[in-house]
Amino acid sequence: MSEPTEIIISVRDLKVGYGKNVILRNVNFQVRPGEVFVILGGSGSGKSTLLKNLIGLYAPLEGEVWIEGDNLVAARGNERQDLLRKFGVTYQSGALFGSMSVLENVRLPLDELTALPEPLKELAALAKLKLVGLGAAAQKLPSELSGGMQKRAAIARAMVLDPRILFLDEPSAGLDPVTAADLDLLITELAHHFGITFIIVTHDLASIYAIADRVIMLDSRSQTIVAEGRPAELRERAADAWVRRFFNREPDAVASGLHL
Amino acid sequence: MTKITPDELDTDFQFGPDGFARVVFRGRLDARTVATCWDGLERRLRAASLKTLEVDASGLRFCDGAGLALLRYLSMRLMTPEAIVSISGLESGLAQLLRGFTSEDYAAFRPPMRVKCRSLPEEVGSEVRRAAWDLREQIEFLGSVVGKLPPTLLDRRQMRWPEVRRVFELAGANAVPIISLVSILVGLIIAFESAQPLAQFGAQIFVVNMIGLVMVRELGPLLAAILLAGRSGSAFAAEIGTMKVNEELDALQTLGLDPIRFLVVQRITAAILLTPLLTFYATFLGVTGGVLVALGLGFPLPLIFHQLSSTLRLSDIGLGMAKGVVFGAIVSGVGCLRGLQTLQGPSAVGVSTTRAVVTSIVLIIIADAIFSILFYFLTR
Repeated sequence: MSEPTEIIISVRDLKVGYGKNVILRNVNFQVRPGEVFVILGGSGSGKSTLLKNLIGLYAPLEGEVWIEGDNLVAARGNERQDLLRKFGVTYQSGALFGSMSVLENVRLPLDELTALPEPLKELAALAKLKLVGLGAAAQKLPSELSGGMQKRAAIARAMVLDPRILFLDEPSAGLDPVTAADLDLLITELAHHFGITFIIVTHDLASIYAIADRVIMLDSRSQTIVAEGRPAELRERAADAWVRRFFNREPDAVASGLHL
Repeated sequence: MTKITPDELDTDFQFGPDGFARVVFRGRLDARTVATCWDGLERRLRAASLKTLEVDASGLRFCDGAGLALLRYLSMRLMTPEAIVSISGLESGLAQLLRGFTSEDYAAFRPPMRVKCRSLPEEVGSEVRRAAWDLREQIEFLGSVVGKLPPTLLDRRQMRWPEVRRVFELAGANAVPIISLVSILVGLIIAFESAQPLAQFGAQIFVVNMIGLVMVRELGPLLAAILLAGRSGSAFAAEIGTMKVNEELDALQTLGLDPIRFLVVQRITAAILLTPLLTFYATFLGVTGGVLVALGLGFPLPLIFHQLSSTLRLSDIGLGMAKGVVFGAIVSGVGCLRGLQTLQGPSAVGVSTTRAVVTSIVLIIIADAIFSILFYFLTR
């Protein structure tokens, strides 16, 4: 039941959907440690659904998700809980708990899941906040932060238990270009300095070029992965015309039914 | 040197003269091992009044955020305030991280220890101000609803009758089962409880008179209104509050539509039409409950009807229905107002629904008291 160590996440023959409504099938990919791996696709291509299957929020219809050598789909009970703690997740809206301060949000996993003494919890949480540049905002409520700061606070919360893997759902959604670029910088820093593996769902082209080591592209028509590779490669010579169009941000007026 | 497994932490203490101590960490320093070694460190180091503390981390194979937090705690002299602390042998990446968070950062980012506490006069003042502001908003709201209700009612296009029908069904038809259950039980319980004391005076038959009067004039309208407040007043506040949070109300306004005409008038109309019906139904079932008890006590049905018809006047039934209309207007109006007053934030809608129910019930009781006084003077 063990995987070769140079692969941190391995997804095999995954079929995801809701009941009889299959959204994606034959999803196969592998992620190496320290890699920034981007899941890409148009609106409605099942990016977020795939992510929710990868992190165990939904059970896939078929297939396996191996994380650090354990199959998350088959894991039950304590084994599953341990596996879930191996990665952190941030959500599109940040999903910070609105009634708690930023520091309390970041401390929460330490409070609930570790037996650390109080002062160390505070120190560890504050250090993570400083790492994402939010030390001075520790006492604020999430509603007092800007969108970019909320995203960074969510990343601090996701990594407070030092997971080796972080899943980010649309980290740059709703951010201005400068803030989004700051966030990209943070992600590459964390990946290079700490060896954290990132699996990022996005359709922000600028950010993909800035951060992605490897990309897979999902498509709602063929319901599977239509392209895989480095972003620059895909832009130049993807086999699929739609993929090239996506990477070059060309309109597809005929297909989308626009009659101007 | 003892052999240790890779998952464990080995902590070694060496004490020298002149308050010197040396701590050697070997193995794995993570959240679990830090938690287990903490007590030992506290006991050995804090007690000994140290002048110099050396921490040797060269034997660490793994150190995570929790481990770094411990090393920071030591190096910031939080455990040994008198001592000069040095940490050696840390792997360069970790050492850089350790330096990345300083005592100054800690002092600057820490939560302030004192809890801000307001004085009593300040508290009272701000509460009074808030209550006065709320009253002002209620009056403004009442004014704008009264002003907008008649023209909207007359304008078929603006009135959106299908919406009224939808609210009527949700707040009325769907409430019938719960109202049935509660009313008939309340009727049964009151009749049953009062039958025993009345029996002492040989006046058991007056259970029927009492339940008739109580239900028609008081409990029927109250039960209907309180259930309406719990089921539908809260729902109005939640619906409109969610729309406010999602900027749907702003969208309505920029489309040139007035939220009061578009959302509030329909709900208030539906509630005003609906509550007398619910009141009548609740009253009928409540009285039925009382009648069942009377039957159980052995009184014949014709006698029961005679008692009822001799006690109840038409004006009593009119009073009950009038209360229904007023209570319906209160519940729906308060529900909509609280929805419109919703602030931003995750708990805002919850706060609005709570306030809707609480304010509705308080106002219902106050209105009921006013009704009682008015009716007393009018029928004297």
